[in-house]
Amino acid sequence: MRWGLLVISPLLLTTILLSGSLFIFLSSSFHEDLGLGLLKEEYSLYNFRQILVYPSYLESFFLTLRLSLYVCIFTLIITWPLSYILSRLPPKLSMLFVGLILASTFISLPIKALGLIILFGTDSFALDVLRSLGLVDQDFRFVGSLFGVGVGYTHLAIGLMVMMMFSVMQAIPKSLEDAARIHGASWGRTIWRVIVPLSLPGTISASLMLFNLLTGAFVSATLLGGGKILTLPVLIQQSIILFNEYGIAAALAAVLLVTVFALNLLSVFAASRLTPTTKVIA
Amino acid sequence: MTAESPQTNRSLRRRTPLSGAAFWRRLRGAVGWIWLVIVLLFIYAPILVIASASVDPGEYIMNRAFLQFPPKGFTLHWYFNISPSMWLTITNSLVLAACVSAASVVFGVPAALGIMRGSFAGRNVVSSLFRFPLQIPFIVVGVAFLQGSYVVAAATGINLTSSLGALFLAHLLVGIPYVIGATGSTLAQLSPRYDEAALTLGATRWRAFRRVTFPLILPGIFGGALFAFLVSFTDVTIALFLTPQGYETFPVRVFNSIQNDLESSLPAAATIVFFISAVAILLLQRIAGMEAVLRSSGSKSDK
Repeated sequence: MRWGLLVISPLLLTTILLSGSLFIFLSSSFHEDLGLGLLKEEYSLYNFRQILVYPSYLESFFLTLRLSLYVCIFTLIITWPLSYILSRLPPKLSMLFVGLILASTFISLPIKALGLIILFGTDSFALDVLRSLGLVDQDFRFVGSLFGVGVGYTHLAIGLMVMMMFSVMQAIPKSLEDAARIHGASWGRTIWRVIVPLSLPGTISASLMLFNLLTGAFVSATLLGGGKILTLPVLIQQSIILFNEYGIAAALAAVLLVTVFALNLLSVFAASRLTPTTKVIA
Repeated sequence: MTAESPQTNRSLRRRTPLSGAAFWRRLRGAVGWIWLVIVLLFIYAPILVIASASVDPGEYIMNRAFLQFPPKGFTLHWYFNISPSMWLTITNSLVLAACVSAASVVFGVPAALGIMRGSFAGRNVVSSLFRFPLQIPFIVVGVAFLQGSYVVAAATGINLTSSLGALFLAHLLVGIPYVIGATGSTLAQLSPRYDEAALTLGATRWRAFRRVTFPLILPGIFGGALFAFLVSFTDVTIALFLTPQGYETFPVRVFNSIQNDLESSLPAAATIVFFISAVAILLLQRIAGMEAVLRSSGSKSDK
């Protein structure tokens, strides 16, 4: 029987939906934006030139990258040890906790943002703690601050990163650690010489995936940024909803897409480059 | 355990209950648990705050609800005063997510079977094409479908954004890869010998599939379906561009409400919706098993 034939109808659907939306949208980035939802007929690179000329667009691009990078590093610091701990718990316990963390990733993002807004409200307890620790100024507002958006991003990032890192850590056999300990390696040395190198390829590709995802994060940046933290996704939405500039929005989206694809390629490359080394070590 | 035995022996010889290595081991254990608890508290803080705000009597300032933490009292008032239009958004979300989930199965399962069982040129290309939608940031998907539906409306007169049609198609595009991923990974673990055995014993192809393969991959299908359900149910980034007035999904309502007039029954509704998601996740774990969930969530692209 021809199993392969089964692919045809889903493939057609996916291709039509992808090309029908993405292609139409991206092609509008090559038509000059006349404002008010109008585009010029001729093809031009006008929109992309606008992005390069106006510093605000470039600033937004680098802000997106910087914010994603910081959150990525912070999340890695939190989740790397956590995933290791989870992977070495008894199976039932680790499944329970991983399940809890997974469940948290399915709380809709605006709901999470609302919770954070209430938690860090103007006269809230949490903000008082931050103030008394001297971490923020007296007139600090959570909504509209880079810190607020960062906290929102971290909430989105931790759950997903634990999912990815847990599988990486679980794939490292406990017997390798035991072997190192029997041969007299200290606990710290075992971590440094066994766990770190073996988890490195997985860690790198997971971090790249996370970084990728954060560059496209939109909800936290909008709700917690309060219109002041203009990352690329926020700019895309604003150019459409507020200014009706489809050409510019499409060009910005193209920039975002290219960045994301480049990072994806990099992560595939990193994964394929680094896997053989781990096999040698193992 | 074997790794610890040298230290254990030494501590026994010294007859000190908590010397050197044993002390550090316990300290490491304690630090590990504290780390875990702090992270769990951190990621559950928002929903805990919302649940507490949902039972807070609360105050109004200039018609806008003033939500606070910690709460100043206890009432179930807000749960009984969720507006009908808010309930409608929850129903919209549920119906949409159920349709997306069902349609994703209809298209995703054959695709997974075709990719895993079939042998045709360009199989890898096809399977990466199916995964492609997950790599596109949701905001780009949303904007692209908005413009795509304008073009469709101009060409055929069918306005997809006047109903949830465009949103359904957009969610379907990202739902299918989850079903393919979950079903495919169950199929990959399934030995073809079961099928061969059934065929040798005289079953027809169709009967072998229906009675042997299908029941065995059912958990994977369920896992993928629930994943597609949850992605559609919680999405706001795509929905924001594609929901017409009167057809808002719940996350979009929350999004708009935060930006405009914070409704005071919002925390109560959000808590109820959280419990709906929690039930779905519990089902997911029970039916598909944690391993399958982790495998399919590896590709979870979001927001």
